[in-house]
Amino acid sequence: MESDLTHKYIELNMGPQHPSTHGVLRLKLTLDGETVKKVEPVIGYLHRNAEKICELDFYCDALIYFDRMDYVGAMNMEVGYLEAAEKLLNIEPPERVKWIRVIMAELNRIASHLVWAGAFGLDLGMLTPFFYVFEEREKVLNLFTEICGSRQETNYMSIGGVYQDFNDKIIYRIKEFLDEFPKKLEEIYNLFVKNDVFISRTKNIGILEPEVALSYGVTGPMLRASGVPYDVRKDEPYLVYDKVNFTVPISRKKDVLARFIVRFEEMRQSVKIVKQALEKLPDGPYFNPKARKSLMIRLRGEGDVFARTESTKGEFGVYIVGDGSVKPYRVHVRSPAFKNLSVLPYLSRDVLIADMVAISGSIDLVFGEVDR
Amino acid sequence: MISLVYEIKEETGKDGRKVYRIDREHLLELMGDLKKEGYDHLSLISSVDFRDRIEVVYHLEKSSDNFSIIVVKTETRDTHVPSVTSLWESANWDEREQYDMMGIIFDGHPDLRRILLPEGWIGYPLRKDYDMSKVQYVNMDEEGNDYVSFDPGDGW
Repeated sequence: MESDLTHKYIELNMGPQHPSTHGVLRLKLTLDGETVKKVEPVIGYLHRNAEKICELDFYCDALIYFDRMDYVGAMNMEVGYLEAAEKLLNIEPPERVKWIRVIMAELNRIASHLVWAGAFGLDLGMLTPFFYVFEEREKVLNLFTEICGSRQETNYMSIGGVYQDFNDKIIYRIKEFLDEFPKKLEEIYNLFVKNDVFISRTKNIGILEPEVALSYGVTGPMLRASGVPYDVRKDEPYLVYDKVNFTVPISRKKDVLARFIVRFEEMRQSVKIVKQALEKLPDGPYFNPKARKSLMIRLRGEGDVFARTESTKGEFGVYIVGDGSVKPYRVHVRSPAFKNLSVLPYLSRDVLIADMVAISGSIDLVFGEVDR
Repeated sequence: MISLVYEIKEETGKDGRKVYRIDREHLLELMGDLKKEGYDHLSLISSVDFRDRIEVVYHLEKSSDNFSIIVVKTETRDTHVPSVTSLWESANWDEREQYDMMGIIFDGHPDLRRILLPEGWIGYPLRKDYDMSKVQYVNMDEEGNDYVSFDPGDGW
């Protein structure tokens, strides 16, 4: 390929600093005119080796590094780590805590999908929806500020409990948000789908067949948009997801537009879940006394545990090995965005550069999580 | 069904998952059989450094059975393990990550390079004997490629 065709193909670097690469992704493109012949993602610019840092700290301290992985979906990261750590340390959170975690995770899913929709619109040259989605997202983050004192990297949950209990005022504020949000969501949805340019830029672009998606390890809304109904919340329910009533939206269209529609339907389902959870929220303690503050650094775990949860990007798995000491021996993270990104070279063969931007935008990349 | 030309040790993990232990010579045969059985989703490849040996752990999922998980463990003392990229595409980046972080060499991998760290990084960070007190600096060499050394002034 190199010898006789070098005069024809141009090599171009896109990123690491580029508005449509969502952080620090560098794409090595091989171009024929404006058509992408080959793309090679180069990652690692935000690499901090959180897995090694986790080995140096107590089980309870590792949590804050998970906040900083997927920083727009931090609650889901915390849930993912705690699912594994609590199994390893044999600590069962009280019933109320499980419901609170479901509420927080689903509110965070709404916020994360909204950010994705705004950034995706920007990729396609739509500036207006960006302001609408950030207005709504800010309301969720204000709720987080009231509950746990910080907006994004909340550090709200802890082993066997949460940092602070819900009070009546919080529950009232969340209900207030849920009452007006669905109307706003439809407004935002219409801003996208009633735009002909948006439809023509996304329809039949980036077709991903289900067999290919499974082989590449793609999960989350991307896999569901390809027609595979895989959602950890249904297939291996954690927390109390088996006690709430919701559906897993799938689409058989397999393209970029399908991923957009699936994510918006997921937000509607999240509203449904939070409403049910607020109704069913039981009374009780908000932490397990076996893991209270003075005992937290003495927790010991032995054996190995793999727990998977449905984060905002897909199947988030945490594999922890304990050697019986107070620190984890090995922590390994299955990052869904990392796996979803690996399918980009397959999807962007022989597409226009502008379409490749739409495809990479539809993956929902957050580089804190890809690089860890 | 899994044929019995090789020996597998079956056990149950702490999280209740089924674990197959296999020696690495027969790893590819077992993986091929599992793929035929319907395990079409390789969830992750992780590895644990036990100082005298490295354990490589595969988590496979079966899409036709609610994505139920099976765990395959193998171990190596000289860091060589056969690659499973021929069976699942996702093994490509996973194995590159394990090579990068743990220094496991996957025989038969089409493109075994570092993925997160720059090429030329000294040592494998997730090994237990990795020296964290030494700071490494990434500079540029004269051709514009990454150049790693312990001296901050070194390089272009």
